[in-house]
Formats: sequence, structure tokens, C-alpha cells
Amino acid sequence: MEHTFDIVIVGAGGGGLFAALEAIRTDPKVSVAVVSKVYPTRSHTSAAQGGVNAALGNKDRDDTVELHVFDTVKGSDYLADQDAVAYLCSQAPQVVRELENLGAPFSRFPDGSIAQRPFGGTVKDRCCYCADKTGHTILHTLFEQCLRRGVKFFNEYFLLSLEHDGGECQGIIAMNMRTGAIETFSAQIVILATGGHAKMYWNRSSNAAGNTGDGQAAALRAGISLKDMEFIQFHPTGLRKSGLLVTEGARGEGGYLLNRHGERFMARYAPQKMELGPRDVVARSMETEIIKGNGFDSDAGSYIELDLRHLGAEAIKKKLPQIRELSMHFEGIDPIEEPIPVRPTAHYSMGGIDTTMAKTAVRGIYAIGECACVSVHGANRLGGNSLLDILVFGKRAGQEAACEAPQRKALGITPAAVRRAADEIRSYASHERYERYGIIREELGRTMGDNVGIYRTGERLRQGVDAIRQLRRRFRHIRLYDTGTVYNTNLIQILELKNMLDLALCVAVTALERQESRGSHYREDFPLRDDAIWHKHSLCTMGEDGDIQLGNRAITMGMYPLEARSY
Amino acid sequence: MERREVSFRIQRYNPQVDQTPFYDNFKIAVEKGITILRVLNHIKEQLEPRLTFRAFCQAGICGSCAVRVNGISKLACTTQVWDELTGGGDDPILIEPLSNLPVIRDLLVDIDPVIEKLRQNQGWVVPSIPEEKMGFKEHAVSDDEFEVINAATDCILCGSCYSECSMMGVNPRYISPPVLLKTFRMNNDTRDTDGDERLRRVTADHGLWDCTHCYRCVEHCTKNIPIMDGIHRLREEAFERGMTGSEGARHAQAFFDDTRNTGRLREVTLPLRTKGVTGSFGMLPLALKMALKGRTPPLFVHRIAGIERIREIYRKLEK
Ligand SMILES: Cc1cc2nc3c(=O)[nH]c(=O)nc-3n(C[C@H](O)[C@H](O)[C@H](O)COP(=O)(O)OP(=O)(O)OC[C@H]3O[C@@H](n4cnc5c(N)ncnc54)[C@H](O)[C@@H]3O)c2cc1C
Repeated sequence: MEHTFDIVIVGAGGGGLFAALEAIRTDPKVSVAVVSKVYPTRSHTSAAQGGVNAALGNKDRDDTVELHVFDTVKGSDYLADQDAVAYLCSQAPQVVRELENLGAPFSRFPDGSIAQRPFGGTVKDRCCYCADKTGHTILHTLFEQCLRRGVKFFNEYFLLSLEHDGGECQGIIAMNMRTGAIETFSAQIVILATGGHAKMYWNRSSNAAGNTGDGQAAALRAGISLKDMEFIQFHPTGLRKSGLLVTEGARGEGGYLLNRHGERFMARYAPQKMELGPRDVVARSMETEIIKGNGFDSDAGSYIELDLRHLGAEAIKKKLPQIRELSMHFEGIDPIEEPIPVRPTAHYSMGGIDTTMAKTAVRGIYAIGECACVSVHGANRLGGNSLLDILVFGKRAGQEAACEAPQRKALGITPAAVRRAADEIRSYASHERYERYGIIREELGRTMGDNVGIYRTGERLRQGVDAIRQLRRRFRHIRLYDTGTVYNTNLIQILELKNMLDLALCVAVTALERQESRGSHYREDFPLRDDAIWHKHSLCTMGEDGDIQLGNRAITMGMYPLEARSY
Repeated sequence: MERREVSFRIQRYNPQVDQTPFYDNFKIAVEKGITILRVLNHIKEQLEPRLTFRAFCQAGICGSCAVRVNGISKLACTTQVWDELTGGGDDPILIEPLSNLPVIRDLLVDIDPVIEKLRQNQGWVVPSIPEEKMGFKEHAVSDDEFEVINAATDCILCGSCYSECSMMGVNPRYISPPVLLKTFRMNNDTRDTDGDERLRRVTADHGLWDCTHCYRCVEHCTKNIPIMDGIHRLREEAFERGMTGSEGARHAQAFFDDTRNTGRLREVTLPLRTKGVTGSFGMLPLALKMALKGRTPPLFVHRIAGIERIREIYRKLEK
């Protein structure tokens, strides 16, 4: 089947939906399609608990956009592009209010204004929230508004490839998961909004099963570069057994982190901000405590305790109901009565498709949200800035796409490209193949956790790079056991694994290359930040042979000069 | 760590090869604390790569993995195997797709009908602020106003209530609990301006008045949302807005009278009072289907305790 639209958006998370909505609001005449491998409301935006940052000044009256910019730049360890950060923070109050105007049910202060709570790494309390279901309510609100505007959805379609003629966008090729049919979507504009890739750490990750970076991998294979891939954020508080997330809001509301001596050890690492230091600092401090033997021991590994008991039953039930539910379901613990066992978990990908204010190097191809790297998060994202990122740049991409689409020609997708996609899928079912999906994926997760984790060294990273290369070779023999065409989840798993392997290699090689410590990237063999050499973005491109080539890009500075980062 | 062998009996169906659904059995060693989803993943990765189901967040928030476990709709990711053991742990745990939705393959159903009904019934806020003024100022909403809809905004559209609803089983065109809940959530949002139109739509045939109050939606909501409270509130609202001319409203009036008189509903004679004698014949197939499903209302209604309280509430309401 061949589809033709002015704008095709891949991904129906908060970023993709806001882009779709905005494109239609900007110009109701443009035709917009949203293609997503899961039903829109299943997208991982739904998992965001804590909130979204905006300097509304409802809590701290003296909060300003400039302070938000400062926190973000400092949080990024000065790797973010300051023009992009300035745009992000200046648009924040407007997009949050707009979302509220469209029906998002934010929690309120007694005067009726949007409530704000403290979040990590900020000098003012500016995180707007809806209890601990912020992402869920934002996603549903955007989905509702898209239904209202008649946005056309192609749900359960899987992106196979991104097509362009060398300089201009042609569209995408996707598989209809219900029928197995390969379908083309010609479009003047494609907006990639496929979410993050931190699931490559598998059960050491807080991410949904499908956060496999499909858009990033498609872009990489289409010759578009990826930026700052070595930066993966580890969230301090993943549940011990599952890696599932306990929001930073739990510490924002006053939760303590305790080691097995009952000590609030953050006093030794971030004496001022304590538990609310930025994520990289808190996660590393916890890991250090565990390595020193100060963690609690259990069958499921060592852990730290997150103690909420002193907040009281009332506050826990009202402000952190989901956390309570998760703790009960997955750890069998009621946080009103017992501390929650936690340890750091791979959580967010700061790196992604290289964009300048949402645009890639190919005309007509945009990327936004967690799959993109603008870069506003640099080496470490602040909690609450990612929802903001998807809203602000989703909106911008939607507006620009609606203006740009009518000025561009539809180029169409070549039959050769469709044949390539079909051949690849057919090849997986060959009887000569023997490698199993589960085993390769398991080994990838382990390698990433062990060799490309929170603490990194040149030696371990080299082992990691070798191991991933080896796994990519083995992947060539992977066997598709399900040969049906109706909703073949076995095939989807294999396609996702291929994407994770390509991206994992990018993460590992850039981490090995960067011989300094900055934000989430911590090298035991190079423990200091080295601005003279490494104050620059890293770039990855894929060569003809499928290997990764490296490059660099200067950072755009602005109001805030380089400074040492302490909390 | 406690560990035991557990049998799982899983419904399979691939429309490309199977004439009808059948069951596959798997016996595996399971540790205490393992969820149904972990079991499904294990089976898919180790034993049967063709087993087909949806799963995404694994944390009970995306709503993808709802299936029926031992006959009841639940999220696979938040359901513990240990809680489902019966017969001293020897009976197999039965895993089947949700009811009332077309099966695409194995445990995976088509949820488009739910989305389509949301669309038809305008499950979105129509804001009071005009487009060009958006983004400048937030509405003032008090905590109390928000509290009314708070629980309803928890809905993850997992489809469990749709699957459990007794009315859905007999009438696929029925509006369904999640759509009524969404309508309630929108109509009680102080920022919305389209309550009348939404209510007009949901009070049409196969709509608001067809709910049988079986409470199965509330009982099996994976997010513990008091869905029936929302449905009751919508009915009250229909009266307040004077949408009383329709058959459904007459039905509700009868309901209103019953509850006032006995504290309970005399459902057997309800059709008579609502549709008149001839109209009621049309209800027979429905009644038969309900009887087959074991859901016929009792013939003799007993007054429930606290009837005085209920009468009191009505007296106040009427004033
Ligand atoms: C547990 C958790 C809690 C978080 N809490 C917060 C928080 O409190 N505050 C905050 O700011 N951020 C938070 N984040 C981060 C934030 O939620 C995400 O970064 C953000 O929601 C990403 O949105 P997105 O629109 O880019 O992508 P997603 O919401 O991940 O959506 C991706 C979309 O792309 C589609 N897609 C992917 N691959 C394909 C393909 N091959 N074909 C077709 N479609 C495809 C998917 O179907 C999906 O619709 C949290 C993240 C996690 C994991």
C-alpha cells in the first residue's frame, strides 16, 4: 500500500502528538499522519511521573527563565548548546500553560494556580506536576486533542527505513504489524519522534520494552549523524528487582537516601542539595556506597534505601500514589511502613539524532524529543526537562513543518528501497540461521551494564566495544522462528535488537573516545572534566561497511561561561 | 526463595492457520514474586517464540498487557503468579485474551473499537479559552474541583472494564464503561464548555441509560477507579440538564422512583415502565442473553438496609 501525506510523524509519544496537533493548528489544510508501533497512549511518555519544568513563578515568585537556563546549562556540565537551552526555557511557561488550557489536569496550589515542586539540580522549585502521573496525563490530553482535530493515526506500524535522495526528504517505509504488509509513506516532511534508547541496558533500565531507538538507528543508516551518544543517564532510584522507576519527586517531597548504617550519606557528596543533587552525582554516590560495602545485601543484589516514612501516610497517598502502588506490586513493600529498596538504573538517552533546533542535515527531515539531540541536556539532563523538551520542540517542529510542507515537492519512494526492506525481512526466516534473539539481547544488556555503565574505564570500554562488535556479527545469523505475517512480534523483537546493537556500538565507541569525565559520563581513568580538549559534541556516522565513524562539533555558548560544577 | 512448578494454559489463535482458538499448556518452574508478564516473556523467549501478546512499560501505566487471568481481566505486568494459584497450586493458570474485543492473534485483541467510541463521544476537553489566547494564563482550578475528576484521569485505556462489562457482552454497540468514564471526566472539568453536546451523544441509543449497574467495571478496574460513581453522576447531570424526554430518561426516572421507594431497583419490570408493553417485547432477546450469562436480575426485590437514608437523600435532592 502507498500512502501520501504532507507531513508524516513517526512516534506518538508526547513529542510526536504535540507536533501533529501543532501542524494542524498552524495550517488545517496540510495532511498529517502519525505512525506508531504502539497505540499512542501506550507510548513511554506515559511513564513520566515527576513533572515538567517551567519558570511560572507560582511557587518561588522570584524564579526566572534565566535561572532555568542557568540550572539547565550547569546540569548539562556545559555541554548543552546555550541558544537551544535559552529557547527551551523561554518557551516553557507558555507550553505548560497551553497544555493546561487544553485540559491537562495539573495539581494545584490553594490559589488555583498550577502547583510546583522541587526537583533535582535546580535553585528554584519549578517542576509542574499532576500527582505522580504527569506524563500519563499529558499524553492522554494530547491524544484527546489529536482525536478532536481528526489527526490520522496509523497505529501498530513499525518504521523500517527513512528515505531521502541525498539531500531531500522522500518519506518512510513501514510495516503494518497487523498484516505484515510493507507500506510506503511519501511525505515532504518526516518528523522522527521515536523516543529513547536506554533499553539497550535491558533489565538494568527503567525504560519500556520498546525504547530501542528505532528512529535513531534508521537515521544512522540513512546517513544522518548521531550526537553525544556516550551520555546515558542513570537514574538514582530504580526498584532493586526490576529497575522500574521511583520518581525524583519522591526525594522532591522530602525522601531520604540511607545506607545500611542508617546514614544520609548524600551529606558527604552534595552537602547543600543532599538527596536533590543532580542525577549523575546522586547515582554515582549511591554506586560508590554500594562498592564500599555500605549498601544493603539481598538476593537481587546490593541496594540503598529510599525512606519516605517520615512524610506520613497522608502525603504519600496523595502525592505519590503510583510509587506506593509500584513498590507494593514489584517489591512487596508499602512505603508508608518500610523504606523502598533502590539502586541506579539506565534511564534516559541524552544523545540522539543530530539536530539544530529540531532540523536534521537532510531537508525536510526533523527529529524531536528523546530520539533527538538538540542539544539541551548536554552531558546530564535535569529531571523535568525532558517532558519540556518534547513539548517545546514538538510544537516548534509541528509549526515549521506546516509552513515548510506546501513549499516542497513530493518526491516519492523508490521501488528499489521497498525491495530492500522486503528482502531483509525475508532473509531472517532462512533455515540456515541459528542464533537466538533472547541470548543476544541478554548478552547485550549485560555488556552494557558491566562495561558501559555508571563507572567506566578505557579497558572495560574496549571490552565492551569488542563484545558489541561480536554480537553484531552473531546477529547476522539470527533466526526468525515465527514466519507468520499477522502481528509477528518475534520479527519486531529482531528488528528492535538490530537497532539496539547499532546504537550500543555508538554509545560504547564514543564513551571510549571521550577521555574525560563530564556529567553522566564518568571515566575512572580520567576523573576530571577536560575543557581544553573535550568541550565539544561527539558525532557518529555509519560507514558503507556498517562501522561507526567519529567526528566532533563545537558547542554554542551563551550567557553562562564554563565553570566548575559543584552542588 | 520459594519456587514451584506451575502450569499455564494459554489460549492460542493465529487466523492464518487456525480454524478456531485452542489451548497450549506450558509447565515451568516459577519463583515467588514473578508476574504473569514475566512468565509470558519467558515462554516467548525460551519455549515458543510465536506466542503473541502486547507488553510495553512493564510498570502498570501504559495499559498494553491486559489479558484475562483465570477468567478475570487484569494487567499481566502487575499480576503475581502466586496470587493466581488455585487447587493447592496444582490447577493450571488460565490465560486468555480480553473479552468483547476481536482477537487478532493469541492474547492480542483489537482495541480500535474503544478508540472509535471515544472519538464518537468527544472524549476531549473543548476549552473555554480561544485558540489565539492559549498559553498566556492558566485557568484557576481549586483542589476540590480537581478532586472530582482526579481518579478518572487515572484511566489507562487498558480495556479491562470493556472486557468485563456485562452489557458489552450482549450489545457490542453499547457505549462501554471507559467511554462513559471519559465523558464524566470531561463534563466535570471546570475548563470544558461542551458538556451539553457530549451528554446529548452519550444519552443516545446504546448509551448512558443502558448500563445495568452490575459493577463489574469497578470491581475489575486495574486502576481502582470508581467508574460507577462517574456513570451515576452523568445520569444526574442528564436530569439537571433536562435531557428527560428520551426512553432512557424514562428508564432512569423509573430507576429513580425505585431507589426512592425500596432502595433497590426492580429491574424485571423496568422495561415495562420505560418502553410500555409493546416496546418491551423488543427487550426479550436481551433478557434471554442476560439469563444465559447468569445475570438476570432477581424477581423479588428486598428492601435494603438504610432505605431511610436513601429516602432522606431524595427528599433533599427534590428540594
Ligand atoms: C520511568 C520514566 C520516568 C520519567 N519521568 C520524567 C519526568 O518526570 N519528567 C521528565 O521531564 N521526563 C521524564 N522521563 C523522560 C520522558 O518521559 C521521556 O524522555 C519522554 O517522554 C520521551 O517522549 P518522546 O515523545 O520523545 O518519546 P516516547 O513517549 O517514548 O514515544 C516514542 C514513540 O515512538 C514510537 N516508535 C518508536 N519506535 C517506532 C518504530 N520503529 N516505528 C513506529 N513508531 C515507533 C512509539 O510507538 C511511541 O509512540 C521519564 C522517563 C522514564 C522512563
